[in-house]
This record gives sequence, C-alpha cells and structure tokens, in this order.
Amino acid sequence: MASATAMAIAPEVLARPAVRLLQEALGERLRAASDFRGDLAITVDRRAWVDAVRLLRDHPELAFEMFLDLCAADYLDVEGRPERFEVVLHLYSVSKKHHLRLKTPVPESDPRLATISHLFKGANWFEREAWDLYGVVFEGHPNLSRLLTHDAFVGHPLRKDYPQGQRHVLKSPKQMLLNVPAGSEHLLVNIGPSHPAMHGTFRVQALLDGETIVDGEAELGYMHRNFEKMAENRTYWQVIPYTDRLNYCSSFMNGHGWALAVEKLLGVPAPPRAEAVRVILSEFSRIMDHIVCIATNVVDLGAITPFFVMFRAREAVYDLLEACCGARLTVSYVRIGGLAQDVPEDFAARCQQALASCREAWQAGHELLTRNIIFCKRFRDVGVLSREDALSWGWAGSCLRGSGVAYDVRKDHPYSGYEQYDFDVPVGTLGDCYDRYLVRMEEISQSLRIVEQALAKLPGGPVITDDKRVALPPKAEVYSNIEALMNHFKLVYEGILPPPGEVYGYTEAANGELGYYIVSDGSKNPWRVKVRPPCYNNYQAFPQMIKGAMLADAVAIIGGLNVIAGELDR
Amino acid sequence: MAVSVVVVDRNLRPGVGPILKGFWVTFKNFVESAFLGKAATIQYPEQKRQVSSRYRGIHILTQREDGTPKCVACYMCATVCPAECIYIEAGERPEKTIEKYPTRFEIDLLRCVYCGFCVDACPEEAIIMSGENNLVGTSREELLIDRDRLMARSELVEHEAGYRPVDHDVRRPVRIAALERLRDEHGIVPGMPQGSGARRQR
Amino acid sequence: MPKCTIDGKQIEVAAGTTVIQAAELLGIHIPHFCWHPDLPVDGNCRMCLVEIEKMPKLQIACNTQVTDGMVVQTESPKAAEAHRTTLEFLLVNHPIDCPVCDQAGECYLQDNYMAHGLHESKVELEDKVRKRKVVDLGPIMLDAERCVLCSRCLRFEKEVTGTNSFEFVNRGDNTQISTFENRPITHEYAGNLADVCPVGALLSHDFRFKMRVWFLKSHESVCPGCSTGCNLFVDERDGEVQRLRPRRNPDVNKSWLCDPGRALYHAIGSQTRVTGARVKGAVWEGVSLADAAQRVAAALKEAAGASAFLASPQASNEDLFAFRALAEAAGGRLDFRVGSPEARLRERLDNVLQRADRNPNTQGCLDLGLGRDGVGAILAACAAGQLKALVLQGPELLRVPEAADALAKVPLVVVMATHEGPELERASVVLPAAVWAEAEGTFTNYQRRVQRFRGAVPPPGDARARWELAAAVLEAFGRPLGATSARELFVRVAAAHADYAGLDYRALAGSGRVLPGAGSGVAGSAQEARA
Repeated sequence: MASATAMAIAPEVLARPAVRLLQEALGERLRAASDFRGDLAITVDRRAWVDAVRLLRDHPELAFEMFLDLCAADYLDVEGRPERFEVVLHLYSVSKKHHLRLKTPVPESDPRLATISHLFKGANWFEREAWDLYGVVFEGHPNLSRLLTHDAFVGHPLRKDYPQGQRHVLKSPKQMLLNVPAGSEHLLVNIGPSHPAMHGTFRVQALLDGETIVDGEAELGYMHRNFEKMAENRTYWQVIPYTDRLNYCSSFMNGHGWALAVEKLLGVPAPPRAEAVRVILSEFSRIMDHIVCIATNVVDLGAITPFFVMFRAREAVYDLLEACCGARLTVSYVRIGGLAQDVPEDFAARCQQALASCREAWQAGHELLTRNIIFCKRFRDVGVLSREDALSWGWAGSCLRGSGVAYDVRKDHPYSGYEQYDFDVPVGTLGDCYDRYLVRMEEISQSLRIVEQALAKLPGGPVITDDKRVALPPKAEVYSNIEALMNHFKLVYEGILPPPGEVYGYTEAANGELGYYIVSDGSKNPWRVKVRPPCYNNYQAFPQMIKGAMLADAVAIIGGLNVIAGELDR
Repeated sequence: MAVSVVVVDRNLRPGVGPILKGFWVTFKNFVESAFLGKAATIQYPEQKRQVSSRYRGIHILTQREDGTPKCVACYMCATVCPAECIYIEAGERPEKTIEKYPTRFEIDLLRCVYCGFCVDACPEEAIIMSGENNLVGTSREELLIDRDRLMARSELVEHEAGYRPVDHDVRRPVRIAALERLRDEHGIVPGMPQGSGARRQR
Repeated sequence: MPKCTIDGKQIEVAAGTTVIQAAELLGIHIPHFCWHPDLPVDGNCRMCLVEIEKMPKLQIACNTQVTDGMVVQTESPKAAEAHRTTLEFLLVNHPIDCPVCDQAGECYLQDNYMAHGLHESKVELEDKVRKRKVVDLGPIMLDAERCVLCSRCLRFEKEVTGTNSFEFVNRGDNTQISTFENRPITHEYAGNLADVCPVGALLSHDFRFKMRVWFLKSHESVCPGCSTGCNLFVDERDGEVQRLRPRRNPDVNKSWLCDPGRALYHAIGSQTRVTGARVKGAVWEGVSLADAAQRVAAALKEAAGASAFLASPQASNEDLFAFRALAEAAGGRLDFRVGSPEARLRERLDNVLQRADRNPNTQGCLDLGLGRDGVGAILAACAAGQLKALVLQGPELLRVPEAADALAKVPLVVVMATHEGPELERASVVLPAAVWAEAEGTFTNYQRRVQRFRGAVPPPGDARARWELAAAVLEAFGRPLGATSARELFVRVAAAHADYAGLDYRALAGSGRVLPGAGSGVAGSAQEARA
C-alpha cells in the first residue's frame, strides 16, 4: 500500500499544478504525491493540513471549491507506516474539472488533527463521523460528538482491532439534541424518527416560535449498519449485495458505481455491451429514484394523486429488472468486469414498455404539478441555497444543479460510454425547492433520451470481461474441463486480487456524485472502503436551511433533498 | 465535448388548471378500477404476480437421476454466501466417481438475502432457485430449511424453477423433484400457460 | 560466495545453493511441484524452468547451482511460456475433482494455474486417462488420477522413513503411483505423505471431508508429544481445532510431524475435559476457581511447610516458574521426576523424529531447578504421614499404582488436570487446566532450544493455564505472583536463570533459540537435530 513516509515524487507528477504549488508553499511538509490510475493523491504533514486545504480552495489556478468527502483509515501494524491513522480528503474543482485526494498521517499516540469545517461547511459531519468510527480528534470542531453510532456505544468500530460482531445496546435514546436557553418560551418538538415525512428514519429536533423554526439539530444513524466494516471482511464480489442496500430506491446504480470503482483499481474494463446495458438500467433507476423523490415529497404536502399515477412507472422498471436478473429491488446484477448474465431476449421490447410507462408518469406528474398553484406556492422561494453554499456543503446532483452549478459526472468525466449519447444537463437559477423539482423532471426526460439512444446503439458481444482473474468462467467450461474448474474455485474462495493501491471511483447516481474510495493491500478483501454518499452532504445543510423557515416548509425542503436512509447512514 | 446545459424555466404562470386535472385523473382511475377492471392492484393471494424464469426465490437442491442429491458438498456456496447462511457437513459416498455428498445442508432462509451467488458459485448445478417467494413460518426454526426439504419442496406447486445457470451439464443432467411432482400430480408443465386465473396475465 | 541477480535483485549465497533456494531467500517464488526443501532434488516436473543469461535453453532452478555473476529471469516471456505449457501437460489427464478433493485451497495446481496458467483447455473429458480412485492406504487415501508424478512421496519413503512404500507402475500416460498390492502405510509418518503431496493424490484420512482449508485460521505452536518439540500449526475454525500440520524448522523437525503428534488435536476439544474446579467432601462438589484457590491456600498455610509440590514436565516454563514460586511461598518440598523422564530425554524411538520422553518440557524442568528434593523422598514423607498437603501440577503421580497407599495418607491432594480419568479419584481438589493449544508460553526441547507456542482456541469453562491457577492460589495465599501474562513470566524466568538471560520473548517466535553454554541437564547438539 502506498506509504505516507517521504518518497521521491515522479517528475511528471511534480509538474502538476496542485503538487507544484503545494510544494512551493509547504516545502518539506509535502511528503508524497502520486498518480495511480489517474487519481492524483498528495500526502502532507498534518501540521500543514489547514494551510494546504486553504491553498487548494483559494488559489485561482487550483480552485477546489467543492468539498466531496473526508474520511479516516486505519493502518494498524502495516509495514512502512509509522503513523496508525490517515485522514483522507477528496476535493473537486467545478471550474477546472479535476479531482484531488489530500492525505495526512495521524499517529495513534496523538490522534489529533485541525478541523477544516470552517473552510468547507460540508466537512463538519464527515469529521464527526471520522471521530465516531476511528477516534481521530478534530481540534476546533464545533460539535465533535458521535454521529452514526448511538450514545451508549463504546469504542470506535472501524478500527482494525474492533471485533466485527461486537454490539452495544442503547437502552434510552438521547433526549435533547438542542441547547434550549433557560426560560425559553419556544416549543421543542421532535420531527421523526418515526414520522412519515422523514423518509427513512432520521430525526430533527426543532425549537419553534409558533410555526417558525428558530433552531434545529439533526440526529442520524438509525439505519447505520457499518457497510464499510462489512466490506473489509468480504471479497469484492461479496460486497455487491451490500451496495444494493445503500440507496435502495435505485439499487442498480450503487452496484454500477462499485463495479466501476473496482474495475478502475484493477485496470480491467467491462465490454461495451455490458456498459451499454449498465447505462440503460442506471438511467431507468435514476428515473425510478426521481419519481420517488418527487411523488413522496408532494405526498407530504398533501398531494396524493401524483404518487399513485407516477409509481406505476416504477412497477414497469421493476418488471424489467426482474426479467434481467431475478430481483426487483436488490438486484445484484453487476459483476466486476460486466454483468452477471446477458439480458433476456425480449429486453428491447420490455425497455420500450418501461419507457412508455415512464413517459406517462412524467406527463402525469408534469400536468398535475408544474403549474399547480398550490404546489408553486409551497415550493417557490422555499429552501433557497446559494451556489457558493452548495459547493461548500459538498452538494451534488440535482440539488447542486438546482442551485445553478452545471456539474454532471456523466458529462464532465464520462464513464460507461456516456460520451456517445446526446443529452442535456438541466440547471436552475435560484436554488429553491421549485428549481430542484424542475431539474429532476427535466432529468427524467433526459434519461428517457439516453435510454432510447443506448437501446438503438446496443452492441453485441459478451457481457463480462474475458480476464480470467476477474470473471467466473462459463458454466459449460466449469462442467467439462479442469482448467475452468480450478479457475472457478480460486475465484470463489480467493476472489479477485487487485494490485495494492487506492482509487476513488465516482458516478452520477440519482442523488449526485456517488463515490467509492477503495484502498487495496493486494489481498482478497479491500483494506478500506469509504462510500461518498451524495445525500449525506445534501442533508447536512438541512438544519441550517430550516432556520427561520416554517415547519411546513421544512417538510417541503427535506423531501426535495431526497435523503435515503440506506445511503445516509450506510 | 460541448456541454449542453439547459436552464429550467421557472417562470411559468401557475393556475388552478392542474388541480382540476387532478380531480379528473382521480375520477378516471376510479371508473377504470371500479367498473372497467383496469386496476393496477393484484388481488393477492387469489392472484399472484408472474415472475420471470430468472426469479431469485427460495432455493431447490437438485437430484441425480436416481434421486440422490446432486450436491457433492464442495462448500462453494457456503464460501461465497455474503450472508453466511449456508451450513454444510460432508459425508462419504461409496461410488468412486462421486465420493462426497452432504449429510447436512441447511440454509437459514431468514438470513438469506436471495442474491443468487450460491447458484453462480455451484460447479454442479446442484443448487438453483425457484420462483417461490412465499416465505411463511410460525417459528424461526421452521425457516431453517434442511437438505431433504430443499430437495422435496412440496410447496412448489404453483411456481417454476427460477434462477439457474444458463448452461446445463449434459453429461450429468439434474432432476428437480418439485417440478416432476408438478407434472405428475398436477399436470402442470412449467412454461405452458396455466388455467383458472391462478396467475395474473400481463 | 557466489553473487547472482534474480529478477533484478542481487543476492550473495553459500556455494552449492540452487537458484530456487536463492530465489526463496529473496522472497521470489518460482513455481514448482517436485522440488521440496527437505527432500533430494529430482527435477522431473519441469515447472521451475527459468531463463538464465548465456544459457540458450531454459534451466530448472531446483538443480542449477548459483555461479558468480549469474543473471536469472524467472518470468521472462520464454519462462512464462514454459510454465504455462508445463502446467498444461500436467493437467492433460487431471480429473475434474476439485469439488470433492480436500486439497482445494492448498493445491499447487490451482495456485499455479492462476499465477502461471490461465490457458484454455484442449482436452475433452472423455479422452482423459482413468486411473484408480479412492484407494484406502490406511492413514492416507490415494487417488491416482490426481497424481502429477512428482515422486515426492517416493523420495520421502526412501530418504526419510526408509520404508520405500511407493513406486511408479505402468508406463507412458498410464503411469501411476502405487504401493505394493495397495498395502496400507504402516509407519508413523504417514501424515507427511499427505503434506508433501502437492495435489490431492494423497490425502489424510483423518481430515477427509472435514473442513475446507480456507475457513481455517493457523496458529504457530509446538507439539507437546515428546521432547523433540516439533514445530507445528494449529488450524482451527471458530474455536474448534480441525487439524495439526507441521511448521518447517530445519533444526528441529524439518517439514515433518509424526502421526501420534498429529492425533493429539483430538484431545483438545474432547468431551472429557475438566471444565470446572471441584472439591471432595462426602461427594465431589463443584466450586468456583476462586473458591478452590482459597481452600488450597488456606490448607497450605495451615500445613506450614508440611507440604510437597510435584511439577509436571507437560507444563511450560512459565507454568513451572509460577509453580516454583508457590512451592517457595508454602515452604514445601519440590520435584518433578515422576517416572524419571530425564533419563529418556534424548533417547530416540525411531530414526526420524520421536523421542522416548513423552513430555515437551523435561529440559525446562531441569533448567529451572525443579528437580530439587527427589520424588522418592517426597513419597516417603507421604507414606510416613508427614505431609498435610500435596500439590500436583499434573496427574502423573496419580497414575502410579504403587503410590496409591502413600497418597491416601495425605489429607489434601490438589491436582491440576486437563482431562477426566479414574486417577482423579485419588485427589481431593481438582483444578481445571488449559491444554497447550489454549495457552501461550515456552517449552525447552531436548536440544535446549526454547520455543514459543501460542494459544489457538479458548479453554473450556473455567479451565486456565497452569500458571494462572498457581497465581490464583498465590493471590489467596497472600503472596501475589505479580505477573499477568505469560510474557511477563518469561521475563522473570530470563532474569532468574543465567542461561535464559539473553532471550527475548518476541524473538523466540519462529524457530526458537538454543540456549548458550552448558548448564544443568543435558545439552543437545546440532547433529541430534537431523531427522
């Protein structure tokens, strides 16, 4: 695994602007830099952490305005790593269209690092999570308390010496999330976790002055299953069903993202037919997810009809998925290097049926909502988030585009052949709930366009790579010759063995940029997997957004953020 | 490549038209459902959803031609299972070309996530999945299914074989006892259209 | 000393070193089947072909000695092609047995295929030559179809056990490995045949179909069967030991393990384990460990020196140190030589591994000075009614029928026992002891080599390591031991005994360390080590 100790930086890496400028500013405190599979990763000394981040964000040549992800990793007893922990930051520049990974080693004897939550608003919850799961203390953090695990939890579960099956029972939940000033006449209410408007299970405690929210604080982790710990104890193939259970409204896309990230790590691409089918099913899943977002959002406001008529399209897509892989919701259809099996013979016909159904749903939704005066009054000018704030929070996807930033991974860093297809990227102007709704509706139309094109261009050929170290051999071979049988056995009990290294694989999922940061030590289990969950960043802004808004507006806003608990809590 | 960006048009004039449209939609659906029989609802359990031949339902252990399990207890399925829900113990078979068979083969159907990896991992087509998803029991123990129940699967009257490998081993074909019972006792051959509204036609 | 370069890495080796050995020293693994570090070279499999500069044809690394300035490429295109084609030939008649073959997970064919093969098959299943399958050779099973004709079993029988059981029969692609008339293997080293076989042709009958090896976790340990102290791995899954297999130590046991030693694992999880302390009143009464320790301590205090302590050469050095501390605290007599194990310490039972002393730590007892007052004298004191308490670290004395009368005269007989047995009736307090695979510590073998063994599975019930039991009694006695781990105890051993002084507990892992110089007891020599 790449060590954090000083090593010679290759000249072509040294020439990259980020590396050059950081070295000029930090000198010796720039420890290492490398480019692996196209990912630029820079390691700095932890005393230079804040300076490095500020330089990356503010320098005009670099302009890393968008916060993506921050996490920690545990390198207990790993040779060549004197410090046990490593804090990893991923940033993106929308203007320059490049990604960056900034890392810093943190020793076990003194596990402290300065916070960057004042530089990027989005870093707040990520640092809390790193403290919760690893025990790294972020100095200067406004509220370093447990986020995903509950208050009766003991220990830091993602540490390597924390046993996998260890559990702690919470007997009584945390009553107060907010500090209510003494003698306050405001009303304190819990919104959720068992409230239908809180899609999934999350809880917000709000201090109300009449109908207006004066202060609010969120509590998460009700659905925290520690996917990342499970991933460290499973092979790359076995992680696939776990990815289905992240954003379960569009589960195929999670698997797609995972397969692409591992394929990036391996350097083994999927064949064109597999990529085209992945695009088709991902776009259908995106449509499904947007339908959920829009329809359930308006159900909370009292509009039930769009829910009934739009959800029929989801049935059609479910039938399509079920015909392909045998399951409706948790599909597990992707494999590393392609797909589990080829699509059925009537795939094109089924897709047309699904397309027709989705068009009907779009039409119905549009006719019922877009110019509906009640809807407009509830959604317009509600939940406004500016462009700068959105980038600082690390918003992505429809929410970010609603605030006017035209960043879509499919356009700016195309994968799976998206560059072949013509489609537009919708953006809003104001960044209110109405803009986010319009953007999602337009995205549904664009997804329909993409599916039509992909279907028309669907190439023939295999649906899985022929690399024997990655893909299971065909069953006919396994039954009839020893070579394929041995290959099969080794892949099942040992699995894929990627080279040591780390990658950040990212796709445009329904909620925004879904990233997988994978660290491999060359063995069959990943060393570290961090999911960059798009709705986590989106939801982080929510307590701020509702301050000064009315309770009813809070309900309208949260639906539009499309928070799916499986992805939020992992 | 040129990024084509469209700015969504938010300056549409709202009105009550969509609200009236909503009434119409509801009324139309009401008439269609109540009188014209076009409801999207499937009246379970008299009607059941039709599933594809790839459906990942409850498992079946296949048999050899003599009725003994095809499974040779190679542990591939137990190894690959992400939920660790398969428990196997192996025993010796006297036939020198077979050698091994499962003395115990149990699946905890409550732990299982029905991902189908066991079917993918099996090198003998010994475990496949059916089209059945009717997982009902009155105790946890009842849903820990053992080898003999997995082979017999008497509940499989209405459902077909589901997720199974595309290629079949022509030298060592498998029998699925449940499907044979379907044919012998009920005259149902999977793949042929059924009578009596047992399935919803789509 | 010739210097060579293998895959760009330089190394200087002793004269006579072969390329494959030099590569191993560099951490480069050259694929092979027939080569084995502890068997004579045969060079029949042709898998280890490598490209050596200035030699036009590929050379086998196992039988090519390193010369000064030699440059070797182990995976050049020519060498890689050779590996692939060799593997293809070896697989021509190989049956599709992986699902029923126990070797899966430690099979050279599987591992080499993924690393060096990845070729398509060109042979139809029906065209493969059929040979004998499931041949019962007693402790091992033979499947001749899976054999790759590497002759490791043949060379083992010839060089190590001298029994020459195996021979190749027939010719051409019908060549098979066989014993005469399929007669079973009768010597006590049959398990090694299953270990040396790189494929599933020879497999252990005891382990047959028990467990897939990739579920097992291996723990480094030392066999307690005799004073040789062979190094081994304890393979367990979920706290249940499934098998023992040898760990290579060129100076102790090479790559071998005797069958009686392998069979010792059955005793670990046996149903007859002592899992709780008990005290004899009118009937046996189960008590907690703390309770039992209290009673023993009280009795020893009352005895005021009229007590005796018999250590066991089954115990580790740490156990012995704690036991001696207990004896000194109580002021009683101390010895260990029930049955005179020290007399047989270096006596061999065969010319391979086994020794007559069936205890792992007789040398440790001698080194730590536990042979102090004489067993005879202690028994005499018992018979004369002079002793009020007798503490036994193991049940050896209880099994000696002649000692029964003397024992009956002692009011309190305490025994630390691992397994139930009729002899425990002669005791009055039974303390549950953990076996070697459940604790960690060190044994000193006949060579005066101190070797570490690690715990692999948790002990059942209240069973504890013997030093922990002694520590509990010392605690109740009012003279706490002051050590809470085997490591701390070893540090105290090293501090108290000059010979052990230079040893570092962590450094003992791996192949142990031979004690310097002469001391009490017999010193072993390197020649003794050659199996």
